Amino acid sequence: MSSDVAFLAEFADGSPSRSALELAAGAAALAKQGGGAAIALAYGKGAAGAAQLGSAGAARAVVLGDNTNPAITHATAAAAAVREAAPLALLAPATPNGRDLAAALVGLLGLPAFGPVRAVRLDGGTLRTEQATLQGTVITVSEPAEGAPQPAVVLVLPSTFSPLEGGTREAVVTNAPATEAGPLGAARIVESHPAEAAVANLEEASVIIAGGRGVGSAEGFAPLHDLAAVLGGAVGASRAAADAGWVPYQLQIGQTGKVVKPALYVGCGISGAIQHRVGMQTAENVLAINKDPDAPIGEFADLFVVGDLFTIVPKLTAEIRRRKGI
Amino acid sequence: MKIVVCLKQVPATTAEKRYTADLRLDRAAAEAVINPLDEYAIEQALRLQEAGAVATVSYLSMGPEQSAEALRRALAMGGDDATLVSDPALAGSDAWATARVLAAALDRLAPDVTLMGMASDDARGSLVPGAVAAIRGLPLLSYGAELRIEGSVGRIRRLTADGFDIVEAPLPVVASVTDQVGEPRYASLKGIMAAKRKPMETWSLADLGLSAADLHGAALTRVIEARKPEGKPPTERVENVSPDDAVARIVEWLAARKLIA
Repeated sequence: MSSDVAFLAEFADGSPSRSALELAAGAAALAKQGGGAAIALAYGKGAAGAAQLGSAGAARAVVLGDNTNPAITHATAAAAAVREAAPLALLAPATPNGRDLAAALVGLLGLPAFGPVRAVRLDGGTLRTEQATLQGTVITVSEPAEGAPQPAVVLVLPSTFSPLEGGTREAVVTNAPATEAGPLGAARIVESHPAEAAVANLEEASVIIAGGRGVGSAEGFAPLHDLAAVLGGAVGASRAAADAGWVPYQLQIGQTGKVVKPALYVGCGISGAIQHRVGMQTAENVLAINKDPDAPIGEFADLFVVGDLFTIVPKLTAEIRRRKGI
Repeated sequence: MKIVVCLKQVPATTAEKRYTADLRLDRAAAEAVINPLDEYAIEQALRLQEAGAVATVSYLSMGPEQSAEALRRALAMGGDDATLVSDPALAGSDAWATARVLAAALDRLAPDVTLMGMASDDARGSLVPGAVAAIRGLPLLSYGAELRIEGSVGRIRRLTADGFDIVEAPLPVVASVTDQVGEPRYASLKGIMAAKRKPMETWSLADLGLSAADLHGAALTRVIEARKPEGKPPTERVENVSPDDAVARIVEWLAARKLIA
């Protein structure tokens, strides 16, 4: 039985995404336990350059397609690559693209699926995953049923693994076996509308300053941007703020937005409804600033400051600046 | 033109949940609702019907018999008919088994568009749309902020890292939509009355030509442990102090956790 661990490696604009680097490290660590290797299944613009994933932990890389087509259009190529490599597990990023391609493999090959998980391990050769379900009220540990086919498909949340640093190895690159893409390959991007201004990638931010209904307006986000700048962080938002049009939806954190795991999350004027909470509850440190002493966020923040964000946030920014001497 | 909206009955977001002795969610114990993210798919389908792009809106659910209540609620919002796939052998179904059964039901219903919510509130895997598309051999248009049907193609607006794309595929398709399609409507009293007379069928696994053996006992995965999350230290509250004192405490806290120098 193979001890290899495969992972979906998404590329965009010529480079591997953050999730590809994280999963390379995770796959390499899992594979090593059984003496196997990490195998990248690379897709997206730049995937032909997947040799660079060697320094991230991959021993081999199979190129599914170097183009900007929706991830699921690579499904039959991915299925052929998975059949050929026969890995123990397949890690997929819990992103829209990663989930779509993973889902197609589950359907095409009849595979057990897990996640989104926050931990995955091998216990005596058995894959076990740990996930928060029911809006984080229950933690479940799961494993493949007896006799279930391999690989186990595991959706992995951002920041579950940390990218390896300083590697110089190159992965051995091959092309996926030739297949007919069929109807699954028929979806096409017919128009692309990038934003006029750059939008922060919250999944990569180690500090997030998030604003909610209490911020009150688009202009109200200015002090949050100032604080984010002085802490080297990014600005995020609750659904209420995105729905109001104060920030783009790409900055929304929560059930229908991004799931983030920063070292520091600062919630400003955010009540902390369950739908928001599921997007940030694994942040390492949570500071909340809210005028409402009864806001639900006060029940799960590490530090809850009852007060006016428009007074406290600028003072906090000024004080951090003073300490840094800038 | 026919849309089938797939929906799932889930425990209400705020309901107390527990697991049974065999580590399955005790669905009988919790107040049940239509998965909130499926309501957006219902809303999108009804808007397409109102705009004349779709003639028939049908609903499909898989679950215990009480899931019929969720289908009735959907019919009260609008739409034409509903099908429930219910079978004791389906208890504890995983993503693959769910997709396999829904795909078999959809083979019979043969819609032009199969529409789903972007995720279920309880499991949050978002795997069923893609797996159904793969099993049925259809294109997938996923995470649409809006779905349109133009001639013989389906088209969605889909958010990207820094903007949006328009993604298109020839019908028939499987599609999923997000909470950006617009707020779901409430059922009117008239709608609730009308729903009682709308046709609803219940199919068993055998009706679909499937057996429990085809589904590997309903799941390729099993839960071996369910527990409450680790307790966090209690929240430290800072209130009834001056803004300067509050800021001083925040700075101290950040420094103690090495988040600032």
